[in-house]
Amino acid sequence: MFGLIGHSTSFEDAKRKASLLGFDHIADGDLDVWCTAPPQLVENVEVKSATGISIEGSYIDSCFVPEMLSRFKTARRKVLNAMELAQKKGINITALGGFTSIIFENFNLLQHKQIRNTALEWERFTTGNTHTAWVICKQLEINAPRIGIDLKKATVAVIGATGDIGSAVCRWLINKTGISELLMVARQQEPLALLQKELDGGTITSLDEALPQADIVVWVASMPKTIEIDTDNLKKPCLMIDGGYPKNLDEKFQGENIYVLKGGIVEFFNDIGWNMMELAEMQNPQREMFACFAEAMILEFEKCHTNFSWGRNNISLEKMEFIGAASLKHGFSAIGLDKQPKVLTV
Amino acid sequence: MHNELKITDMQTLESNKKTIEESTNPISLDLPDFTTDSYKDAYSRINAIVIEGEQEAHDNYISIASLIPNELEELTKLARMEMKHKKGFTACGRNLGVEADMEFAKKFFSKLHGNFQIALEKGNLTTCLLIQAILIEAFAISAYNVYIRVADPFAKKITEGVVKDEYLHLNYGQEWLKENLSTCKEELMEANKVNLPLIKKMLDEVAEDASVLAMDKEELMEEFMIAYQDTLMEIGLDNREIARMAMAAIV
Repeated sequence: MFGLIGHSTSFEDAKRKASLLGFDHIADGDLDVWCTAPPQLVENVEVKSATGISIEGSYIDSCFVPEMLSRFKTARRKVLNAMELAQKKGINITALGGFTSIIFENFNLLQHKQIRNTALEWERFTTGNTHTAWVICKQLEINAPRIGIDLKKATVAVIGATGDIGSAVCRWLINKTGISELLMVARQQEPLALLQKELDGGTITSLDEALPQADIVVWVASMPKTIEIDTDNLKKPCLMIDGGYPKNLDEKFQGENIYVLKGGIVEFFNDIGWNMMELAEMQNPQREMFACFAEAMILEFEKCHTNFSWGRNNISLEKMEFIGAASLKHGFSAIGLDKQPKVLTV
Repeated sequence: MHNELKITDMQTLESNKKTIEESTNPISLDLPDFTTDSYKDAYSRINAIVIEGEQEAHDNYISIASLIPNELEELTKLARMEMKHKKGFTACGRNLGVEADMEFAKKFFSKLHGNFQIALEKGNLTTCLLIQAILIEAFAISAYNVYIRVADPFAKKITEGVVKDEYLHLNYGQEWLKENLSTCKEELMEANKVNLPLIKKMLDEVAEDASVLAMDKEELMEEFMIAYQDTLMEIGLDNREIARMAMAAIV
C-alpha cells in the first residue's frame, strides 16, 4: 500500500471539498472546527504500472489548511495525526504532500515520534523530494530547447538553492547537464557557501542580480516579501519553473516570451480513476499529480519500502537516477510546456 | 491572491522558528508550575472529574453486565480496572496536596449519568454502550492523552498506565456494537444525537480549568474527535455516517 497525505489550498476550498465529499460536520464549520477535525482517509485507489504491476493506495486529507500556518501547534498536530492515521492503516510508504513536508521540516517534527499509542516509523514516510528534484531537472532539460534556449549556453538561476530540492537541482545541473552557468540564490549565506564548496561550482548571488542574467529560473523557495519584479528586465525568452508550493508564479510573471512551467508535476500514462487530483486542481486530474505523490507510488511499485527522501541535503545523484529510471519504467513523465495551454505569450 | 498567501505564510514559518525551537525543546517544554494556588484550584476540579469519571465507569460497566449477563466476567474485569484507575488518580491529587471537589464532579456528570440510568432502566444496551464505552471513554482518552504531555512526573506515569487500559475499554464497546450494527444502528444514531452535545458542553465547561493545567481546548476537542471517529469507523460506519453523527458536536 502507498499513501498520499495532502490538504486543500485554502480554507474556502477545503469547505467546498468537504461538502462535495459529504463531510457536512466540517463543511459547515468555521476555522476553529477545522482545527479540531481529525485527518480523513478520503479515497482508496488501485494503480496499474506500465509494467503491469498493480498496487493499492489511499489518499489522506490532513484537514490542514494554509490559514493554520500561523498556529504552529495546530499545524504540527495536523501533520502528525495524518501520519499516525497512515501508519495505523498499515500503509508501507506515504508521501508528505503540499505543506506537509515543509511543516515537518520547519517545525522539527522528528522529535515527536510518539503519537498517542503509536510510535511513528519514519521509514514508512517520504518527502518525495528526490523525485520532485529529478522531475524539475527533466522539465528544464526538455523544455528549454523547445523555446529556443540552448542549454550549453544557458545561465540557470536556482532560487532557494540550499533547500532539499534546491540543492539537489543544483547538484544535477552542475554534474549532468552541461549548462553554461549556475547562479545560486538563498536567504542564508552559510549553507550557500557550503553548497558551492561541495559542488565546486556555481556562483552565489542575489535575486536582483540573478534574474536579469538568467535564461532559466528554477523557483524552489518562496519569494521575499517585498519582491517587485520588473519583467522588462528578464531575458527573452525566459523559462520559469515553479517548483514551489502552491504553484502561483504565473500570476507574477506575465509577459511576452516568458514561459512559466508548473514544476514537479508528472503525468501518468493511464487514467487513474481517482477524484483527489481534481481537488488539487490539476489540469488533467486523472493523470497528473505532484511528483512527491508519484514517488510513493514508484517506491511501492518497486517494493522499496524505505524513507527514500528524508531530512535535508540527502539527495544524491544516484538516488535521483534510481527514482528517475523507475519513474519512466512505471509510466510517469514530467509535464511540459505543450501540456499547458496557459503559456503566457501575451 | 495566492502569491500573497505564499509570502505571508513563509514569513510566518520563519518568524515562528525560534518559538518553535524553544517550545519543542523537551527540557524547556512549557510545563505549568504545579505548586501555585491557581494550579491547585483548577486541579481540584479536574482531578475530581477524573476520579468521578472512573467511579461512574466502574458502576456503568457493572450495570451493563446486568443487560448482558454472559459478559459478566469480562465486564467485571473492566470495572475493576476502573477502580484501580480511580485509586491512581486519587493518589495524583494527594501528591500535589489537592483535595478533589467531588461535589462539582458529580454535578458535572449528572446529565450524562441521568441519561445512562434512563437507558439502563429501559434496557437500551446500545445507548448505554454509546454513553460509556464510546463517549465517556473517548472523552477520557482524549483528556489523558493531552494531560500526559503537561502532567507532573508522578501523574504522568500513572496516566500513561491508565491510557493503555482505556484503549481496551473503547475496544470492548466497539466490538459489541460492530457485531450488532445491523440491529443497533438506528438507536446508536439517536442516542448520539442526544448525548454527543453533552460531551461538547462538558468540554466547554472544563476548558478554563484545563487551560490552567496547560491543556489546550482545541487539542482536547481534536483528540476526542480522533478517538470518537476511530471507534465509529471500527464499528463499521462509513465516512458520511460518521460525518452526520459528528455534526451533533457542532451545535
